[in-house]
Amino acid sequence: MFDAQVVLSPKSSSRGRLMEQYVCARITRMDDIDIGLFDYDRNNTLYFFILNADEQIYLRYGGRDSQSPDSYLNLESIELALRHGLELHKRHLAGDLPKTPRPKPMFARDFPLLVKRTFDQGNCVECHLIGDFQNQHRELDGTLDKMTHLYRSPDLKTIGIFLDVPKGLVVKEVRGAAQEAGMRPGDRITAFQGTPVWTFGDLQYYYDKLPRNATSMKMTVDRAGQAAELTFTLPVRWWLTDVRWRQSTVDPRAYFDSRPLTDAEKKQRGLPGDSFASEVTRVDPFAQMMKSHALQVGDIIVAVDGVGRDEVANTAELFIRLRKKAGDDVTLDVLRGTDRIKMPLKTFRMSFRK
Amino acid sequence: MKPGIALFRPVLLAAAVAALAPSQEDGITWLTSYSAAIQEARRTGKPIFLEFRCEP
Repeated sequence: MFDAQVVLSPKSSSRGRLMEQYVCARITRMDDIDIGLFDYDRNNTLYFFILNADEQIYLRYGGRDSQSPDSYLNLESIELALRHGLELHKRHLAGDLPKTPRPKPMFARDFPLLVKRTFDQGNCVECHLIGDFQNQHRELDGTLDKMTHLYRSPDLKTIGIFLDVPKGLVVKEVRGAAQEAGMRPGDRITAFQGTPVWTFGDLQYYYDKLPRNATSMKMTVDRAGQAAELTFTLPVRWWLTDVRWRQSTVDPRAYFDSRPLTDAEKKQRGLPGDSFASEVTRVDPFAQMMKSHALQVGDIIVAVDGVGRDEVANTAELFIRLRKKAGDDVTLDVLRGTDRIKMPLKTFRMSFRK
Repeated sequence: MKPGIALFRPVLLAAAVAALAPSQEDGITWLTSYSAAIQEARRTGKPIFLEFRCEP
């Protein structure tokens, strides 16, 4: 819907008048696109860039959260982005815009598994397939870092930043880490770790580049015309999002949801405070269909393959996602009522059928 | 002009026209080729508004 509204913008509309000042291009095949230059979270259904003829990217527009692909897509904010793009182009023409180094070129053809799946079969090189096959290659060569490569596009709401979406990077509400950093409603975010940001797409892209073991970061805001630099203390697992919508083959499918036990609940059961003991809150119907496991809602998982603690995972579910390969068989230690039982769990690997 | 290039000239022209064809009469013109967009930006001095979108 958003896509159609943008593409079919009448020339006479305010958006159309802005777009008339651009060369507009809509690319639906990634075959020959430099994906090193146009780097973005490939699970976005659509994504925009504003750049010049020298392929210098001024800004990005797009991005999403786990709840919806459209959470941050808005006709008012895309107009803002178009205006910013024109200002940046003027600065470029005046020689007033620093050049950014071009990333190493990379093409879909560089990934043999992707070539086999798409080019060789005459299929479209879909964006999400690029992301997925990049991760498959990383898994094969041992460079896959799931916290970075699977858990892309961290959610700003996790650190308490709620944007006034039509107004771009204007903050509507602050909570948690953002509140503690001194951010206020009405602030407009202008830079992330010193890099200027113009849109939510920019901000999410650079936020995603933050190492997952980071414990702090800086944002600059415009507050009534004055710049203020804010230092955030990041909560544990600031990068964690619900990744089930991503349809990623490197994500082991375990077909259950869980919640971490509270410290009091662990103490009551004699479990260590740093254990990832967690209660099963939902069993996916696929579990029975795929003969994955026999977990029930209310079961407490206290260990996976004899391991009950992890420096990152706070639930057994997250431990499996991060530390096991899709397709691995594991053994769970489960508390059910007064019984402690060993239970096999078979994870599955998603496959794209087409 | 080399004979080979002359032979392909109508094809190249047709491809360029197709790439520049407006998506609707009174709407914005959307190119469908990245290289055509770069060429057009060079010719006009305009910036590029580029969308990546999987075929719906």
